[in-house]
Parts: sequence; structure tokens; C-alpha cells
Amino acid sequence: MLMLCFIGVFAQIAQANARLTIYTVNYPLQYFAQRIAGEKAEVVFPAPKNIDPAFWSPDAKTIHAYQTADLILLNGANYAKWINKISLPRLRMVNTSRAFEKKYIQVQSGVTHSHGAGPDHSHTGIAFTTWLDMSLAIQQAEAIKNALIKKQPKFEAEFITNFKNLKNDLLMLDTELKKITKKNMNLNLFSSHPVYQYLANRYELNLQSVVWEPDVLPGPEEWKIFERKLQAHPATWMIWEAPPKNETLMWLRKVGINSLIFNPCANVPEAGDFLTVMHSNISELKRAY
Amino acid sequence: MHALYLAWKYIIFNKIRTVTLVACVTLIAVLPLSLELLLNESERQLLSRAQTTPTLLGAKGSALDLVMNSLYFDDEVPELISMQAVEEVQASGLADPIPLYIRYKARRFPIVGTTIDYMDFRELHLAEGRQLAMLGECVLGANVAETLGLKPGDSLLSSPETVFDLAGIYPLKMKVVGVLRRSHTPDDLGVFVDLKTAWVIEGLVHGHADVSKVTDDTLIMQRNQNGVVASPKLLHYNEITEANIDSFHFHGDAGLYPLSAVIVIPNDEKSKTILRGRYLDKNARHQIILPEVVIDGLLENIFRIKNVLDAVILIVGLATILALLLVFALTIRLRQREINTIFKLGCSRMTIAYLLVNEILIILTLASLVCLGLLLLVNIYSSDIVRLLFIS
Repeated sequence: MLMLCFIGVFAQIAQANARLTIYTVNYPLQYFAQRIAGEKAEVVFPAPKNIDPAFWSPDAKTIHAYQTADLILLNGANYAKWINKISLPRLRMVNTSRAFEKKYIQVQSGVTHSHGAGPDHSHTGIAFTTWLDMSLAIQQAEAIKNALIKKQPKFEAEFITNFKNLKNDLLMLDTELKKITKKNMNLNLFSSHPVYQYLANRYELNLQSVVWEPDVLPGPEEWKIFERKLQAHPATWMIWEAPPKNETLMWLRKVGINSLIFNPCANVPEAGDFLTVMHSNISELKRAY
Repeated sequence: MHALYLAWKYIIFNKIRTVTLVACVTLIAVLPLSLELLLNESERQLLSRAQTTPTLLGAKGSALDLVMNSLYFDDEVPELISMQAVEEVQASGLADPIPLYIRYKARRFPIVGTTIDYMDFRELHLAEGRQLAMLGECVLGANVAETLGLKPGDSLLSSPETVFDLAGIYPLKMKVVGVLRRSHTPDDLGVFVDLKTAWVIEGLVHGHADVSKVTDDTLIMQRNQNGVVASPKLLHYNEITEANIDSFHFHGDAGLYPLSAVIVIPNDEKSKTILRGRYLDKNARHQIILPEVVIDGLLENIFRIKNVLDAVILIVGLATILALLLVFALTIRLRQREINTIFKLGCSRMTIAYLLVNEILIILTLASLVCLGLLLLVNIYSSDIVRLLFIS
């Protein structure tokens, strides 16, 4: 009897100390969660590399992994539409952008397109790259911290400390981005893809977008549209998610447009982490300002 | 000892009379006691389901309908509420909400639209197959699978709400992906689907051919810069497959989509009290109820009926006892010559009385044994009998 009690108590202690398994729908959330949880959780973002997680759909095995996770971190803002078509445990889902739902940016129109072999999609509806506004990214990280504390209250102090460190890093990025963009508030920019709405909103970029893919040459019709847009919005720089083709770069230079890379970092970067990618983005942005 | 032997021989000889008397005595005892056992079991079953459901949120109206529909999948659908109610509970941070939409049926079994949290909450485990994953899938309760002879890989059609609903929703062909282990609760009778699948059945979420690409002009009512208006001729998919799942979309604000109830699991007793207080306002559109209290009220009514039944049984029992006494009295009169013979053989009146008492005792003992056996059977099968009578 005593032995059974001992085993029971031991099992409870083991369960309380067990590492959480957390699944996320994009890399920034994985990064934030891992920074806050530290060793107390295994944070998984299962999408394959070189794919836009916003338009990815998991297979049955991955769905099962999501279903059995202790926490599922969602970006909100209609990100990862596959969530609406599968069954997930609602009580273990955390919409990290719930706190600023009213700040979601509506995208009025969008062209249907695809990324390589990915599915057709358009960016009509709600803009979803919320984490590019560092103040919103901090709120998302805070939602993760709160969810972790609710799940493992005994590690509250550790989670709070880790969150504070992450918040400081994000605040530094925020300050730096503000400092750069304030240098030239009249600078006109283009973006190759409509994914920088929150960045433009927070850091007051005069940004207009087209729907071009870095690995696809824009067609004659797209050039015509672009030239019309350029007349109305005389820009000298275009922001790309990834390095575009040389031909595209040359064509852009001919019309006086330089290119810079600002990786939204939705998926796991080839090298470094969220912070290093953002620092690299800031360095790129400095070239324009 | 001799008197007992003679009484036993007499009883064996008069088989029909003995069997009738034993049956009468047995019935008098078995009826009220069995009823007591069955009512206790039904009380236990009803209460255990209610006790494991801390609170239930639904539209203001009949609390009993709300509980019976949400806990026992009764046909009477309470007034509907919207997903906003779930969001409100979640936003309060005081409780965890599990939405329920129990309105439609599939071959007379209730379709329970919920989230997979329900499975964790009710501790339902799969006997075969896998958990719900995609839109359009269903997991069957043990009784449903057994009655309909379905297994993972088969399909099940949802039924129209009424047979006259000719212009209504299309039936949805659902894919059976799992069968639940028997839980001996109403969950054995449920067809479990994701909440979104329940909305597909209702037509709020649907899929159809891409209207921007259709070539048949009769499928389009209007085409302009703002979009395309499809005509009712455009067929909706009645089965969700990997090929067409991407075409399924929500119409309108998903926050206003209907629910029949929400199971609310408060964080603690304090949260429960605070939450209940928020729904006490007379103008509140929703009510939050304690299923245990509602079921207690229902059981009180049942026990009131039981008291009437007890009184009837008591009167019938008394009449039967009187009839039995009459039978014994008449038997003694009929056996007068036999008693006189025994007396002349030298037996005292006391011995004759002893002989008759032994006969009665043997009949009562036999009746008690049969009664005990029957009560034992009722006790063993009481949960099944109650489920058969009340749940199925």
C-alpha cells in the first residue's frame, strides 16, 4: 500500500516536471516560445523549410502531433487557414494576437497567385505578418508567457525572467527600426509582396506593394502595372522577402529602383535565428535610409 | 421434523396451488424492491453525468431541455446561442468552454458537434481508428457503430431535419475515422463531429466549384468588379475530400455561428461563483446552470411519482395478502376432513397448527428465495436495464 502511494506521488511529481510539448504555426512564435520556456518545453514548428507557413497544410501525422501537444500557439489574424479545416483541441490553442485583434489591418484587394509549387492564394482579408511590428511581437510573446504560466505555474519566475530578456531584445529592434525610418520620412518604397503592412504601419514607411515572386520574372503586364504605380508613387527602393533574380534586379535598376532584402522570417532561417535575421533586415533597411 | 416433512410432501403434491402462492408472494416483494433498485441506479446514472458537468451555458429558457439535450443528447433542441458565448467565457479567464452543437441526426443517432476537448473532458477513448482530424470526418459511439455495423473507413450520411425539407440542406456524407470504446453513457449513442463539420451540415460552411472559373453562365447570377454572385443552381459538395477541402469556406461572421450549449469548466469554486453572477442579470440573453441541480429537480419529480407507485403497490400488496389469507382459510376449510383424520390418528390440535404453519413457512421461504434470485438479477443488470429504458 505504501509502495503504491509512493509510486502515485512520484508519478504526480514526474508529470508536474514533465517538459511541455508546444506546437506553433510559424517560426517567430516558435522562437518566442522557446526563448520564454527555455528547457521547460520542446517547441516544435513542423512545416518544411522553404515553404510559406501561412499557406501550408499539415499532413495527417502532423495534425495528430498538433492534437497531442500541450499547447498550440496560433498567430491569429487569419494566419494559417488550415486551422479552420482540421480538428484541434480549442482549450490548448492560444491565439497570441487576441489582445490586439482591433489593430488587425484589412487588405482591400489581392491578386490570386502561387509560390512555386504551393497552392493558389491571395492576400485579401486580414494582413497577418503581425510580428514585423515589434510592439505587437512583444504582445504575442506576452500571450505565450501567460499561457506557459497557466500551464506550469511553478516555473512562473523563470518564464517572467526569460520573457523580460526577449522583450528587451524586441524593444531594441523596435527602437532601431524607428530610428532608421525617422531619418527620411518621405522616402517612398515598394515591396515585392503584400506582407509588410504591420512593419509599414508601425515604422511609418511610405510603402506600396506589388505581387512579385523573387524566383519568377515579372511578365510584361506586371511591368506595365508597376510602371503606372511608379509614376504615382515615385520610389527608389523595393523590399524583397528573398533575393530576386538578377534579370529582375537589372530591370529595376534601369528604372532607378534599388533592391533590399527584408526577410519576414515566417519560416526557420537558413542560418541564425529571429534576432539575427531582424538585425540583418535592419542593416538592409539602413541602405535605403 | 415430521411436521415439516408432512408439510413439504403436501406442498409438493399440490404443485399448482404452491406455485400460485409462491408467485403471488414473490411479486408483492419483488415489484417495489426492483423499482427501488432501478430508480436508485437511474438516479446514480443521471446524477453521475450531471455531476461530471460542472456548469452549462445556454440560451435563457427551459433548463431541463438544455441539460437533456447537452448531456443526454435528447431530441428537444434548446434555443440556439452563438460562438460569441464561447469567446465571452474564454475572454473572462475564469473557465474553459467546450462548445456543443447537438441538432442534427445521422440515421436517428444524434450528431454531436464539438471540439476534441470534449473527448478529453469525458475521458472517451478510441477502440479503433483515429481521432477527428479533417473537416467532414466523424467518430462513432460504441452503440452507433454496433447498431449500424460501421467501422473506420465507412461513411455515414447526415439526415435532413424533416422529411419535408426538400429545399433544405444537402445531406453530408461523413467519413467514419474512429469508433469510441464503450463508456456506458449517452456518449455511446453519439456521432461525434468537429463543430465546423456540424456547420457544414447546416450549410454555413460549404464548398463548391470556383465561381470565378465556371463556364456555365446559368450558374452565375451576377459578375462584377466586387465579385461573383452564384445562382442556387451551383451545387455544393456533399462530401469533403482531399481534392475539394480547399474550396470549403465560411460564410458570414464565424463568431455568430450557432451552438446549442457550452460546457463551462470553471478554474475553481470562486471562478464558478463569479461567472454565475455575471449571468444572473434579468436582461442577460444566456443562462448558466448547474446540471446537478436541474437533474436533482427532475429526480424529485420522479420520486414523487415513485411515491404514488409505492402507494399503489402497497394497496395491491395488502389486497394480495388478504387474498392469500383467504386462500389459506379456505384451504383449511377444504382440508377439514383431512384435519379430522389427522386428529383421530392422535395428533394434537397444536401439532395440526404446527403442520399448517410449516406449510406457510415453506411457501414463504420458497418465495423469498425466488425473490432474492430475481433481485440479484435486477441488481446485476440494473445499469443495463436503466440504459435500455432511459438512454436508448
